[in-house]
Amino acid sequence: MMRLQLLFAIPLILGCATTAMSHHSFAAVYDDSKLLTVSGVVPEFKFVNPHALMYMDVTDASGKVTKWVVEFAGRLNLSNVGWTADSIKSGERVTVTGNPTHTGSDRIAFKRLVHTDGTELLPAAPQRSQTLEEERRQRALRRNSNQQKQ
Amino acid sequence: MATSQILKACARLLALIPIVCVPLFSQAPSASRDFMGMWSDPPVTIIGDFCANWCTDAGIERLNALLDDPKNDARPLAALQAEAAAYQREKYIRPRLTDAALKTYPLDRAEDPAFLRCEPYGFAQQFIARHQLEIRQPVKDRLELRYGEWDARRTIYMDGPRPPAEPSSPLGSSVGRWEGDTLVIETSGIRAGRTPWQSEHSDQLRVVERFTRSKDGKSLTLTATMTDPWSLREPVLIKHIWAWAPDQIIAPYDQCEIPTEVKKGIR
Repeated sequence: MMRLQLLFAIPLILGCATTAMSHHSFAAVYDDSKLLTVSGVVPEFKFVNPHALMYMDVTDASGKVTKWVVEFAGRLNLSNVGWTADSIKSGERVTVTGNPTHTGSDRIAFKRLVHTDGTELLPAAPQRSQTLEEERRQRALRRNSNQQKQ
Repeated sequence: MATSQILKACARLLALIPIVCVPLFSQAPSASRDFMGMWSDPPVTIIGDFCANWCTDAGIERLNALLDDPKNDARPLAALQAEAAAYQREKYIRPRLTDAALKTYPLDRAEDPAFLRCEPYGFAQQFIARHQLEIRQPVKDRLELRYGEWDARRTIYMDGPRPPAEPSSPLGSSVGRWEGDTLVIETSGIRAGRTPWQSEHSDQLRVVERFTRSKDGKSLTLTATMTDPWSLREPVLIKHIWAWAPDQIIAPYDQCEIPTEVKKGIR
């Protein structure tokens, strides 16, 4: 069954998305001010470069099946954060949230994927951003401490 | 010549050997000069992240100033990095561009041949591309640089016979040398193309790359000096950082998909 939600238009800061899709002009195809969520069954996940692709059969209330394409960063990038060709299996049902295209075609740029068991795939390892935030926090602590001494 | 004179001459020559040879032996590879192997995306630090594509000292300085200002503590890190990136484009890059380059700067990313037609990067985009960089030395006087992005390969001719002069090519012709523990590579003969900051460059572009390995061996920093009389009023210095990544591999890069729906004009 098709579940298609145009969630909300938000001024996302997509630094990660734009840099991850390195050979790609993300903004030329996808609207980074919108998010869309789609559920369906995966016939194929291609773990390739320069961009991984997932095909998804999305069925609407009348039973009509539409083929969607989900575009990811490339294997070069995803393998750095632990993804493999088996991260998404053929035949499984998934829910994907991402940026829709400017034209409204059946294609989205991946931001988040939820497996049936509730586990998630995200574009960047959470520990990476946690490490950066921790560095920033420590830096602010040092700065505040130095200011107090003065 | 008397035998004694010949012996004296030989003795003088033998005495010179240490003087001549010591500098040669001092050029022997040291730990910090060993760049061979696999490198990849930069260390997980704020500056490493900022320089994951390319950065300048002006941009790093700006980012540090933003981080040091308590007024920015509540702003997302990505917003500060974006502001520093915009600063280096407008305050460092733009003033160095010639009128000819400014006519089309910044170029529309949607019209980048790499995106629009799946054409591999030219030198100026390739040499600072993200992801893997593998450095090998297949023969004594050559280095091979292989990049994950586009699976591009460069041959660097080291201190020896130079490559035959050729018309310009996408990745140009490169010769290299060691200056202490710094690997210096000079590249010219580069076909006109795009710069990392999305301007045009001519086939007069010359790039001097200086690679240094950190003392702990974990990172490799590239500082590149780019000159091009057609597009640049003065040299531009940019940086890129890789992290030591011996477990990584370069996967095939053969599934580029030409986009069928493109909206141009989005900066």
